Amino acid sequence: MAIRVATDSTASDHRIAALAALAIGLQVIEAAIPSPVPGIKPGLANVITLVALVTLGWRAAVAVTLLRVVGSSLLLGTLLSPGFWLSLAGALAALLLLAPLCRLYPGHLSAVGLAVAAALAHTGGQFLLAWTLIIPHPQLPVLLPPLLLAALIAGVVTGILSNSVLSDPRMQRHVRNTPTTGTR
Amino acid sequence: MHGLRWGDALVVTLAVALVGTAFGLAYAPGGGATELVVTQAGAAPRHYPLDAVRTFGVQGVAGVTTIRIEPGRARCVDSPGTRDICERAGWLARPGDMAVSLPNRLVLRVQGPGAEFDSMHF
Repeated sequence: MAIRVATDSTASDHRIAALAALAIGLQVIEAAIPSPVPGIKPGLANVITLVALVTLGWRAAVAVTLLRVVGSSLLLGTLLSPGFWLSLAGALAALLLLAPLCRLYPGHLSAVGLAVAAALAHTGGQFLLAWTLIIPHPQLPVLLPPLLLAALIAGVVTGILSNSVLSDPRMQRHVRNTPTTGTR
Repeated sequence: MHGLRWGDALVVTLAVALVGTAFGLAYAPGGGATELVVTQAGAAPRHYPLDAVRTFGVQGVAGVTTIRIEPGRARCVDSPGTRDICERAGWLARPGDMAVSLPNRLVLRVQGPGAEFDSMHF
């Protein structure tokens, strides 16, 4: 007797799985790149979260992001370590901010605005967790400004990357609320 | 660049403002300098409040170093060194600023109420 495999999985589930796999791959590759400063990295998986957000909606972006955080931590061996919780806190903070902002896409915001906001929220969420639970040192906020600056730069870079990914005609078919430029 | 919206400019502007504010809050000196510390080889450090205008000299092995104090800042006006290194340090106003006169074996350093950072390591 054949094993029944999740016959109720939809095309959207498959897309979420594919995007999550891409995001995990990016995160693992990125973890292999040495960073001059711990805590600063480009966050290329942010591109995948934005693609999921724009093409499949916020819930899908949450699913992709949680799969990415758990999946990459399994591969890197950091599951339930401080790094994992920091990654999760940053991801959740970014998603919380993206929930209202994604309504402004693409009319008032492009992926650059979304990526910058998400990157800052990510760093902010991480820092809050680090400061309240992991290293509650009174002077820790001195480290925050450089991290925020790095997040700003990383957000602009990943935002431009996301914009160019999303403007590809093969992606454009999937983008929700495609702007009605000049048709009215 | 293609595809940008006005909201992007707004978000980036707010983000830059946030980062700037964070730098300002975290690295703003805890007030300006409030006292001058004169450290001379062989003598106990002397402290002078930076409250009023005055000029005085400190005798050293090579001559007299003239120091001028104004509210919130101090400087070396004249020193026996031939290369004017002490004078060219200019006004010392931020906590931690210092001027050195090697011939007179003298270090002028201003301090503030808050702790200052010499350097930061990540």
